[in-house]
Amino acid sequence: MTEAHLHYELAKHRLDNGLEVVVAPDPDAPGVAVNLWVEVGSADERPGKTGFAHLFEHLMFQGSGQVASGEHMATVETLGGTVNATTSSDRTNYFETVPRGALDLAMWLEADRFASLAITGENFETQRQVVKEEKRQRYDNQPYGDLLELLIAQHFQPEHPYGHLTIGSMRDLDDASLEDVASFFEAWYPASNLRLVLCGPVTADEGISLTETYFGSLPAVPKPQRASFEAPLARPELIETVTRAVPHSLTYLSWGVPDAADPVQPALHLALSVLADGNSSRLHRALVRNGDIANEVHSALLPHRSSTSVATILGRPSDGVGTDALSGRILDELARFIDEGPTEEEVARAAAQYERDWLWDLATTSGRADAINDAWLVHGDPARINTHLAEVLSVTPDDVRGAARTWLSPTAAHQLHYLAENAR
Amino acid sequence: MTRPDVTLATPWHFPTPTITRLPNGLTVWHFHLPGQHIATFEAVFPAALSSEPRDVEGVATVALHAIDEGTLTHPDGRIGELLEGNGATLHGIARYRHTTFGGQAPSRRLGAVLDLFTEVLTEPAYAERDIVHHIEAQIAGFDSTLASPGGSNGLAFRRALFGEQHRDGRPAAGTPATLSPIDADRVRAWHAAHFVPDHTTLLIAGAVDADDVIAHFADWRPGAPTPAPASSAPALPPRVVVVDQPGAVQATLTIGSRTVTRDDPRWAALRIAGHALAGAFASRLNLELRERLGYTYGINGGFSPGVTEGQFAVGGSVRNEVAGDAVARLIEGLALAEPLTDAEVDDARRYLIGVAPLANETSADIVAQSSSLAAAGLDPGDMGRHFEALATVGADAATTAYRSAISPELCSVSVTGDAEVLVPQLEAIGLAPERIDLRA
Repeated sequence: MTEAHLHYELAKHRLDNGLEVVVAPDPDAPGVAVNLWVEVGSADERPGKTGFAHLFEHLMFQGSGQVASGEHMATVETLGGTVNATTSSDRTNYFETVPRGALDLAMWLEADRFASLAITGENFETQRQVVKEEKRQRYDNQPYGDLLELLIAQHFQPEHPYGHLTIGSMRDLDDASLEDVASFFEAWYPASNLRLVLCGPVTADEGISLTETYFGSLPAVPKPQRASFEAPLARPELIETVTRAVPHSLTYLSWGVPDAADPVQPALHLALSVLADGNSSRLHRALVRNGDIANEVHSALLPHRSSTSVATILGRPSDGVGTDALSGRILDELARFIDEGPTEEEVARAAAQYERDWLWDLATTSGRADAINDAWLVHGDPARINTHLAEVLSVTPDDVRGAARTWLSPTAAHQLHYLAENAR
Repeated sequence: MTRPDVTLATPWHFPTPTITRLPNGLTVWHFHLPGQHIATFEAVFPAALSSEPRDVEGVATVALHAIDEGTLTHPDGRIGELLEGNGATLHGIARYRHTTFGGQAPSRRLGAVLDLFTEVLTEPAYAERDIVHHIEAQIAGFDSTLASPGGSNGLAFRRALFGEQHRDGRPAAGTPATLSPIDADRVRAWHAAHFVPDHTTLLIAGAVDADDVIAHFADWRPGAPTPAPASSAPALPPRVVVVDQPGAVQATLTIGSRTVTRDDPRWAALRIAGHALAGAFASRLNLELRERLGYTYGINGGFSPGVTEGQFAVGGSVRNEVAGDAVARLIEGLALAEPLTDAEVDDARRYLIGVAPLANETSADIVAQSSSLAAAGLDPGDMGRHFEALATVGADAATTAYRSAISPELCSVSVTGDAEVLVPQLEAIGLAPERIDLRA
């Protein structure tokens, strides 16, 4: 039986230079996940200097004092490991999973780049081009590629820390100088701003000792402090309409909701799930299966650590149905949901789906290491991975209804009508 | 601080399943994985899309996607509610040579979920209105695929390799013209002929006993006779095809050819060569086009085995201005003028062998790998033999195998992007691009 309370053993330690490590031993795992979170994301960038946090995701693989450009990634791969990095608005994540016998080397590779990153003009120029290609590939050359940007713009003014995408703008990437980039590293990459999670066949003592060995000599610099975030200014205009060369029109409803650590989050998750996650959800049944109004509906939650998060419901109308009509029907169903609340069975179903997804996230050492670091950053407590599921499973139908009533009010919904140029 | 040494562990082995053959023709591979909170299961049906009637291509996908909308016992979506209530999710794909259909659930709930899964397999309701919805969804999916550079270029590459006259060259999930005439009777006929236990392999991995699994499938009644073997497309001359997406800011490229499968004696050497050339981060082509020139976010590729024939493909997306040069450099790279070095082959071999434990960490990984073997008619022991073969490949063998299998002049090229910008660049490097219309 899976128990709601999980029992992953976690040992925590802080180095004198401020770097913190958590070791989560798992003797049966096939490799050790080395998962470093730098507490800096795109929300820490200044206007006109966007895309820097993500740019480091690239520069960090371009070599350091004792490691050649590209050698870090190539070395881990040839050891039979996996390696990559990701950036969000709240953190930058460097991670690899390696066979146990290569753990020392992985730690050495990581420590070397934090100690002596090679920020050279040549590296910078090439990676600036690569990042621009990434932006083209992921956003500019994709249908609906600006959907996220439009959503963000509905909730945050451009100068708000959450008011731009992590990839940055082409203009800011073009304008960036080597000095800008070097000073970003100086400001945000000291040991005191790093959280390391080791997960796999390594004991707590071994993991802590290795961390001291490889990271202990990084200088002790005070931890940089994120600026305090104001709540975004309310925008008077709730409805936005754009027309694009895409195959289908969409309606995108969204709400500003509390930050990622807020206790209402589990109930909000389940509310969105009961409404629009899967073929048994209310909106799918009412609008797709039995209503012929929509071809699909989905919900999502975009979490932010330091201010407003965003909850969304996306719908694609059936042929001949306008996005206005679909939005209206979604909001009607939402009003009914808030009025009646979900049934016990609906909440149990949403919780069961959440349970599978959560256990799946923890099924690999790399996934578990990431979940530990996420809990650590968001809640200040890595051990939340052991209690999180119980928290979700204890949510009641009344909690779900209350969360929806407070945060998903139909009158507060932002609407983005994303119209296809040649809609049938 | 000096660079630490690495001590790599003892060789890893793909887990050995318990294999049971049931009287109804079903073969069950059961992987007992204690400690896996999430179990994965999948049926592999030997249903080839070339068996679809020409006028209703896509019916295999409709039959698969609509299968869990309702059952005779639990109609009108109730079956889906019960599955979701048990924490289960189902998924399936109708591929050119076989169909996979399975799901995931918490191991502790697997018993209840397999009851529901067999109900879905054996008594789908296929209500007419559900069929209509799925056809709409597939038509919309076709439009979305064509709007996406990657999706569009994938279809174009298939067409270049197999030709529009053969099923293998046409979209797996059908086109608006072939989807529109599909009705519930055609869907039920496909289900009756193909979703049967005969010649089917069921894969299960998780913390569950084999006997408990088999009990759920023992009563599944045999159905239709052995399905007709898939027909293979004739060999075709190479083509250079362009899909026009006016205003696109990148060119999406694929270059490759049809090739051998796992049973070819060169297979291990080819995988290593493909990884060294385009699979690794430090592959020749990625280092050249991404790290040295900054043309692209990444070049990827290599050999994939398939069931009756394999494919070799490399590709990526590059900005418009350098598209012609990128294609020329890729073609030049594929010629492998300089043989693969010992270092390149050592690195590729170490990765392909070394990453296996991580690549098979979860129940889903084990099932995915087994599914591919079962579809090709291979036994689970093939993995062990493959790793042994990989271990023996040297630089000469990898280079020789690659050169014997791949010639750039016999490769097809597909490019999706702004044709007005791209066609002159392709012509300038000596290619003869033809514009194709994927809706035709």
